[in-house]
Amino acid sequence: MHRKSIILNCLSVLSIVALLAGCAGMTAKPTKQDFKAPVVTLDSMEVAHAFGYWYFSKKVQPTKGKPDNVGAPLNLAFVFNIENPNEYPVKMESLKFTIAFEEFDLNTVSSMDTMWIPAGKTNQLRVNAHFDVRQSLLSLLVTGGFKLKEKGTNAWAQLEKWWTEIPQYSVPVHVKGGAAVFKADGLTQVATFEATFPE
Amino acid sequence: MFAKNMWSKFIISLFVLALVAGFSPMVGAETIKVGSLNDMTGATSDVGKDYALGIAEAIHYVNDTGGINGKQIKLYQFDYGYRIPEALTKYNLFKRLKCVAILGWGTGDTEALAPTVAKDKIPYVSASYSGHLCKPEKTPYNLFFATDYSTQARGLITAWFDKKWPQKPDYGKRKPRIAMCYMTASPFSSSSIKAAKEQAEILGFEIGPDQSVSLFAIDTKSQILALKEFKPDVLLHTNTVMSVAATLRDAYSLGLGADNIIVNWGFDENLPKLAGKAAEGAIGCAPWAFFGLDVPLMDKVKEYAKKYNPGVPLEKRTIHTIQGWASALGLAEALKRADKAGDLSGEGILRKGFETMKDFEIGLGIAPVTYTAADHRSQSQAKIYEYKNGKFLLLDVVDLKKRWPDKWANEWLGW
Repeated sequence: MHRKSIILNCLSVLSIVALLAGCAGMTAKPTKQDFKAPVVTLDSMEVAHAFGYWYFSKKVQPTKGKPDNVGAPLNLAFVFNIENPNEYPVKMESLKFTIAFEEFDLNTVSSMDTMWIPAGKTNQLRVNAHFDVRQSLLSLLVTGGFKLKEKGTNAWAQLEKWWTEIPQYSVPVHVKGGAAVFKADGLTQVATFEATFPE
Repeated sequence: MFAKNMWSKFIISLFVLALVAGFSPMVGAETIKVGSLNDMTGATSDVGKDYALGIAEAIHYVNDTGGINGKQIKLYQFDYGYRIPEALTKYNLFKRLKCVAILGWGTGDTEALAPTVAKDKIPYVSASYSGHLCKPEKTPYNLFFATDYSTQARGLITAWFDKKWPQKPDYGKRKPRIAMCYMTASPFSSSSIKAAKEQAEILGFEIGPDQSVSLFAIDTKSQILALKEFKPDVLLHTNTVMSVAATLRDAYSLGLGADNIIVNWGFDENLPKLAGKAAEGAIGCAPWAFFGLDVPLMDKVKEYAKKYNPGVPLEKRTIHTIQGWASALGLAEALKRADKAGDLSGEGILRKGFETMKDFEIGLGIAPVTYTAADHRSQSQAKIYEYKNGKFLLLDVVDLKKRWPDKWANEWLGW
């Protein structure tokens, strides 16, 4: 009696598994030929936090804490649309891009948070980028000296312009060399993207 | 009766569990967590970005080719903008994430974290190549896959002495004259100067006055004019590319007439772009091949650069990509060996991984790698290239250990 019951139970489980497997087989399966790279576009860029323009060298005694070379932060948020043109869901594993103020590359940011994008749907991803006057100053001084000289300006003037005008959205911010890695059933596709905001 | 019923339920549960587990894609997908601390926004971001891209691409390659004995590497890569407090914060995060090793970056983070990684026993593979990181009794968990700065400087001076000095009209008539241009206040720039001066003395050079050149310099005329009286035959540069390019340009325009020898961070594909004609004939140490040179694994480097970062043209990729690959592949090899020995603890990775490498060939134009428990100088060879007619050509390979075995073994470790 009990043996019969065990056999019946096992058969039921097997049937359910077979059914589930059958259903799974009904969704489209990715192949190397039909796996299209999702399309990544910049929806908008937002000045998430602006603190004005200022810089203190470590010779200046702060009201509290220890003196240091510090400058005003500027936080930007980039919102991307990620459209999946495939008939199956795809997983985004990473996304990275470089941010340039005018012709100066100042930041390369990445998102390593994975997300699934349903078949034929568009997800949104927000990526935050932190800048500060000190860090951007060093980047400009070590790498951009010749370019600034050619432009007839200097690092301080350039930083002041950016830190005061970007919050007004009057200086274009460029997204360069963008790449997002997508996976579907062991297959990999990389989408590239570039953008400027405001256009 | 009740027991039999329970028994049948137990068997069914096991059966279902086995089925579910069998269908699960997670079966066997073990991961090994590795942290990567990079500068993609700060003072060294021009070279740091390319290095970081190389790290990520190399880890993809490792995972695609079997991982660490079947285990995949999960890379946590963060930018710290060359801000030391942020490096410390990220390090704490890596510990929380249970990363077994860290791919670090420059002098700033490496020096700041050296005591902590030693205490925590976490292997830290950096792109800071200071000679003083090579003495295990002081910095046991700091490692790198490159010729250290001091060995580079010694190799550069030796190669110039062997290959260029005999071609000069004053050869055999007087001592060769050398002067050094670097940012005296920078620990990075000055780290190899003591070794360079000793090497110059060994070879019988006359040493001129040091010239302090800021890493931010775009005008170095006063330093070049100060050197005119000394009339150097050769200048050693230990700064990064922009200020080296400025010095080369000013030396060229003011007709100093000295040759230029340059430690690795001042000698990359951007030097000719910034220095123009003044870069012709410049000699530099490059422990790895330049991007695109015909060496083992370069095809994979290019393939993965195209695949994972197609938005960055290959013409813009540099030797720093290769450096990133060298660090990542070197660490992967250590992890494979430690994993095979069944010990992926920090100490296991160090002792059963890194310190078992003897003449290990990574490819990528890097000299064979050897670590021992007493000596973390992974390479004794300095590969010296000359920039000529738009190309980086191998000029010489100086093996300091072979040439000065006693000094290498007994005097030069750790500085």
